[in-house]
Amino acid sequence: MNKQLLEIRELNVDVGEKEILKGINLTINKGEIHVIMGPNGSGKSTTANVILNNPEYTKTKGSIIFDGEDITNSRTDEIARKGIFMSFQSPEEIPGVSVTNFLKYSKNKVTGEPVKIFAFKEEIKKYVEELNMNPKNIERDLNVGFSGGEKKKNEILQMLVLNPKLAILDETDSGLDVDAIKTVSKGIEMFKNDDNAILIITHNTKILHSLKVDYVHVLVDGKIVKTGSQELAREIEENGYAQYRK
Amino acid sequence: MKSQVEEINRNIYDIKNKDEYDFKVKKGLTPEIIEEISKQKNDLEWMREFRLKALETYNKLELPTWGPDLSELNMEEIATYVKPKTKLNNSWEDVPEEIKETFDKLGIPEAEKTSLAGVGAQYDSEVVYHSMKEELIKQGVIYTDMETALKSYPELVKKHFMKCVPVSDHKFVALHGAVWSGGSFVYVPKGVKVDIPLQSYFRLNSPESGQFEHTLIIVDEGASLHFIEGCSAPKYNKVNLHAGCVELYVKDGAYLRYSTIENWSKNMLNLNTKKAIVGKNAKMEWVSGSFGSKISMLYPMSILNGEGSKTEFTGISFAGKGQNLDNGFKVIHNAKNTSSVVNAKSISKNGGTCTYRSLVRINENAQNSKSSVSCESLMLDDISKSDTIPVNEIQTDEVEFSHEAKIGKISDKAIFYLMSRGLSEEDAKAMIVRGFANPIAKELPIEYAVEMNNLINLELEGAIG
Amino acid sequence: MEKIKLNETPVRTSRNFRINNIKLENIWIPEEIKEFKNIKILNENSKLEIIDKTSDINLTYGLNEIFTKQVENSANNNTQLIVNSKTNKETQIEFNFDELSDVLVEDIEIVANEDTKATIIIKYNSSNNIKAFHNGIIRTKAKPGSNINIIIVNLLNNNSDNFIAIQNVLEENAKVNYSIIDFGGKHSITNYYSNLIGEKSENNLNSIYLGSEEQIFDLNYIGELRGVQSNIKIEVQGALKDYAKKHFKGTIDFKKGCKKAKGYENEACMLLSDTAKSLALPMLLCSEEDVEGNHSSSAGKIGAKELFYIMSRGFKFKEAMKLLVRAKFNKILKNIQNEELRQTILKEIDKKI
Repeated sequence: MNKQLLEIRELNVDVGEKEILKGINLTINKGEIHVIMGPNGSGKSTTANVILNNPEYTKTKGSIIFDGEDITNSRTDEIARKGIFMSFQSPEEIPGVSVTNFLKYSKNKVTGEPVKIFAFKEEIKKYVEELNMNPKNIERDLNVGFSGGEKKKNEILQMLVLNPKLAILDETDSGLDVDAIKTVSKGIEMFKNDDNAILIITHNTKILHSLKVDYVHVLVDGKIVKTGSQELAREIEENGYAQYRK
Repeated sequence: MKSQVEEINRNIYDIKNKDEYDFKVKKGLTPEIIEEISKQKNDLEWMREFRLKALETYNKLELPTWGPDLSELNMEEIATYVKPKTKLNNSWEDVPEEIKETFDKLGIPEAEKTSLAGVGAQYDSEVVYHSMKEELIKQGVIYTDMETALKSYPELVKKHFMKCVPVSDHKFVALHGAVWSGGSFVYVPKGVKVDIPLQSYFRLNSPESGQFEHTLIIVDEGASLHFIEGCSAPKYNKVNLHAGCVELYVKDGAYLRYSTIENWSKNMLNLNTKKAIVGKNAKMEWVSGSFGSKISMLYPMSILNGEGSKTEFTGISFAGKGQNLDNGFKVIHNAKNTSSVVNAKSISKNGGTCTYRSLVRINENAQNSKSSVSCESLMLDDISKSDTIPVNEIQTDEVEFSHEAKIGKISDKAIFYLMSRGLSEEDAKAMIVRGFANPIAKELPIEYAVEMNNLINLELEGAIG
Repeated sequence: MEKIKLNETPVRTSRNFRINNIKLENIWIPEEIKEFKNIKILNENSKLEIIDKTSDINLTYGLNEIFTKQVENSANNNTQLIVNSKTNKETQIEFNFDELSDVLVEDIEIVANEDTKATIIIKYNSSNNIKAFHNGIIRTKAKPGSNINIIIVNLLNNNSDNFIAIQNVLEENAKVNYSIIDFGGKHSITNYYSNLIGEKSENNLNSIYLGSEEQIFDLNYIGELRGVQSNIKIEVQGALKDYAKKHFKGTIDFKKGCKKAKGYENEACMLLSDTAKSLALPMLLCSEEDVEGNHSSSAGKIGAKELFYIMSRGFKFKEAMKLLVRAKFNKILKNIQNEELRQTILKEIDKKI
């Protein structure tokens, strides 16, 4: 059976007229947790966004293969339905749409099957408890007036409900206190199994204290300059990114 | 990215019945025609004189010098009175088959069974059905057509008829005064709370004609009522005119909610006038969805005459191709400690124009009053138009007044966020539009919220479980 | 005497709302216009070319035909200011009204050449007991990349009448910061129009008015966005006491083609007496999809809590009020770099309240 889930080959990306990614290569197999670390402006969020083909970014070269299919030019919703999920760095507020209704609707879109309401409600209730969320939040409008921490937990809730093959967590840990980071790690552990994979994008290493990862990639100036094990994260925590900059 | 939200599906509303009538007055507007209407309706003498005087006022007044262009309205081409081929009934069984079928398709008899305390149904110029639950009759609530009201409660009607909205208000009120027919009359006695809504539905079937129904509601001291008004018409090639008039008296300590889903066909000029006089510690709430009409000029008004009175306006307009919806709200704070809250939204697409036009006036004697206004406009493409024209007049210092307005399109970031959750671009946009309209849908009874969502035609419903 | 109508809004609304225009009765419009002598120009080393010259006045809006024609036909001051400096230098022009020079009908044209910078202050003062008449047209042409600050200061007395029509045309990347300090005049009527035709052109209008006695202010501010990514911001702060009245008409009009344009408008009116009156019409007109427009407007007393807080620190009621009015106005005044001018304005605020 093919273990390979995501393969990024020689990816170059522009935003406006500026080149942000300059030849990224990355392979993620089922059952793995990868981390991309890097200083601000190195292209981390760009990497997450181009996997989902955000129209604000232009791919000038390279390709992205997911689960054996070329998704380089697929539409964002097609990519989501194929099984990639992204937890947003700053999730959008959508007034007038409740979290529950939204989850039902997108679950239906992603699976293509009708959602069984009672079982579904039970499932959400369970996750909400595990993630230590305020149960009232899921009746509120999607992300509207949520605190930073509530928004991030709401992203993890969506990840659990939609159960993708690959979850990309874009700065999900940033701006969170220690307890919230633990909750997010717990969510990640609940999600994780041998058939899926996680790509964590972060500029600090806090989340790695409560989570075991397989690979750490250092992204500087649009290129992956080093790949290593969890040990590499520890080293960066001590020494910073200075040594990787030209 | 261009929006793909579908045009409103009008199939149900567009059923055209044969233009059959008992009597149709000649087109145009002359004293002879007014006399003829008056004769047909067996008016009392005061009403006959009232109509003729209103016609004089009509002839003196000018067309508005602002807002949408009304030049295509030619009164010579409009029949102002079309009497349907039936009398007033209090059982649907007695309503002629074809007319009943129309209301069946609009879901009126069904709603009457499940969620309404009383129903009135008007077809062209006259009310064809009126009925109310027994227990309300026992409590002294009156809900009937204006015709009957004039005969059964002459003093009560005469005391209030066109006193809240005087004939001299504007040209189309004067027109209404001259040719009015049909409409509903409601009286809720002191302290009586009507928990389930009453509804009147107005259907204009006849081409090149006008509907001029008069709605008069008196909610006496401490009483409460929710009244719903629905309207629709099939589409014809020539202009139809609606110049109704709604007069609401909300006495001390009373509560009235007036909800409208306006879905006239797109050849309709909807020049309607609605006004409420609100007494001490009373509350008037307006909920308004405006979807149909070619041109709409509609600015419900609350006059806060009683100390501590309150009003709220929650409204949405959705203008598509060829539509010019010039809607809004007016409020006069005319006593101490009054308050008003306005929440207006609009959506423009396919070359449609939405205008929010309003007035907030806080008079010198309205110390310690509050008013807050919020307007949001959504542009779904670059061929449409959206204007916000609010006037705020503050005549005293002890006030808190704020007004906010926003205009813009659906954010690309929000679309991307929703697409990353598996929604197609169309679905994502539809979801955002529905969410935008939701605060208004929430204020409507569930059937109407559903109707409104159908009107916006978001394909969300079917997909969920 | 007959009524004259002026300062029409670009779009009409119901006549009953009494804001489409202002009708003035018994306005003195002088027919004979003498020479105006008291013009002072400060900082003449600013490389600004000042020319005595008439040019064609083509106003899109203006106050009305009578006022525009008067400037066209019988102005007693025609000035053209040509900006050539690449660094920001300040020039101040002062018009001092007195018994002899009590009528000023002027046409000022500012031409900012490409990539130039300048600050231009135009100030109107009057001696106490006269009745001055001012009818001015100030046109600005901001060529590509120019960056111009213009500050209009109206310190006329409350007997005088002040009429100003302003028109700006902004080309690509041009930036015009306009400040209007509007204090004087029995009637102070301003028509302000900016036409943002250039891509990424930017216009900021900051204005304060302060009305006392029976002063009437009629402010008609219009911004039309035509250029891609053009941007206009209108911020108006005002206070009214006694029987003063203000009509504010602000229009931001997104014309077709102004993709990614932004418009912002905020108007706040402090009512310092229960007989002062505020009338406002903040309009947003939009014929383009991809834009962002916001407006907000508010009116009311100075907050009782704020007042109490300040008074608890030992300030008398009047002082506390002054302090709070100054605080609101500071938002606008911080845009004025000239310290001396700022102090003059602050003193005037204290005097009026």
